[in-house]
Amino acid sequence: MLEVKNLQVFYGDAQALWDISIQVQPKEICTLVGANGAGKTTLLKAICGLVPVSVGSISLLGKDLNSVPANERVSLGLSMVPEGRKIFTGMTVEENLKIGAYVNKVWTRREDLLEQNYALFPRLKERRRQLGGTLSGGERQMLAIARALMSQPDLLFLDEPSLGLSPKFVEHVMEIVRSINEQGVTIMLVEQNINIALGVAQRGYVLESGRIVMQDSANALLANPHVKEAYLGM
Amino acid sequence: MFTLPIMIEQAVNGLVLGSMYALVATGLTLIWGTMKMLNFAHGEFYMLGGFATYFGLMVLGLPPWLVVPIAVFLIFLIAFILEKSIISPLMGKPGWDISTVVATLGAGIFLQNFAFKFWGGDFLNVPYMFDGVLRIWGMAFAWHRLYILALSLVVIITFWQVVKRTRFGLALRATAQDNEAAILMGIPFRRIYTITFGLSASLAALAGSALAPIFSVNPWMGMVPLIKALIVVILGGLGSFTGAILGGFILGLCESYSVLFLSSGWKDLISFSLLIIILVIKPSGLFGAKEW
Repeated sequence: MLEVKNLQVFYGDAQALWDISIQVQPKEICTLVGANGAGKTTLLKAICGLVPVSVGSISLLGKDLNSVPANERVSLGLSMVPEGRKIFTGMTVEENLKIGAYVNKVWTRREDLLEQNYALFPRLKERRRQLGGTLSGGERQMLAIARALMSQPDLLFLDEPSLGLSPKFVEHVMEIVRSINEQGVTIMLVEQNINIALGVAQRGYVLESGRIVMQDSANALLANPHVKEAYLGM
Repeated sequence: MFTLPIMIEQAVNGLVLGSMYALVATGLTLIWGTMKMLNFAHGEFYMLGGFATYFGLMVLGLPPWLVVPIAVFLIFLIAFILEKSIISPLMGKPGWDISTVVATLGAGIFLQNFAFKFWGGDFLNVPYMFDGVLRIWGMAFAWHRLYILALSLVVIITFWQVVKRTRFGLALRATAQDNEAAILMGIPFRRIYTITFGLSASLAALAGSALAPIFSVNPWMGMVPLIKALIVVILGGLGSFTGAILGGFILGLCESYSVLFLSSGWKDLISFSLLIIILVIKPSGLFGAKEW
């Protein structure tokens, strides 16, 4: 579904990503784990077109993305829940969701999509008239996910959805991730919290200092001595 | 001598002037809020609005209801092209942050001199679009001034509705609040910038067109409204729509009453004193920088 080949990304003169190659298969939950600063967010941003790519190719559903501007990648089926949620704090919950359906292919169906998402997130329906800025951290995360779903993506990126949430709420978010996946959306989950990520994903990549150092099934990664030592503190 | 009718007349004059400040300042706010830049050519769009109105009414002899919309649309196009050809290529170049503002300064000087070459430096007079005076309870209001007030209220309300209710308005607000998140929603922010720049210029042009019969038209007429609009946006709070609109009316009223109580020479002194007082006691402006 998504294929990244030999990707190199620079910030000025500093290289952030080295020779990254990853694949995401249709309908799976794939995860990208790694420590803070390993380059996970940079990789997602490069795929979304927010960060320029120096070398390498990115293709989605067989279509080459390199020459497609960031905003047009949404129409091709890519949607991202960014790190820190980035909801529009000065807009109401409902406006936040409507703007999620901005692209032409879904704009006319925005009311239906709104109802679908309200069914999935009843809490957001209760708060539909409230400003985004008045929501709690957990509600913001739900809003960010619902907003990203409004464009009816084929592939959904989630960047650190567990950040700043209580363990109980993180579990709730992971349940939501699973149910979105069951509805046919392919998911790429980026997490610092490896336990959680490998608990929900089928497959994972480990990113260290801008390089992919490991890739395997989730269970194999959880059992891997290096992962255990470096990330799980065992 | 300060009878009630005079006070009311002067209030209306203040509101008329204030409505124009509000239009020009709303244009500045629009650009500041979305593109995060100041536009120093803003006054020149006001000037071009005045000239286009003069040209349509006096040279071509067309009726006002045709001239005003055409003039405003023409300035929209000029600003649209200017943004696309000059501002847009400079935007987002790392280390070139100030270049867009400098470019607007250059564009402003170019447009002034263009107008000077084209029409000369004479002060050109434009007749009132609506003749006559409304007399009521011993007070007199020129119809043209009432037209200005009504026009600007309609425009401000329409504009507000567009920003609050339409798809474009949503995209505009999203871009203003968080550019990167807006891109992730699929919003073509470059196009939003270009259209916003054009709309902002149209607001200035409309003010220039409406005021052409009151102040005469000349290449340098954009200077004063630009400065006044800057006072208004600082008074109301940079980036705040409510601030730009209410700030415009407040400044207009202050000026018209200072003309009444002191003399017209004191007008600008009062406006700038107001600005300094606000900067000292409430630097974020009366209404703060609220998100739209």
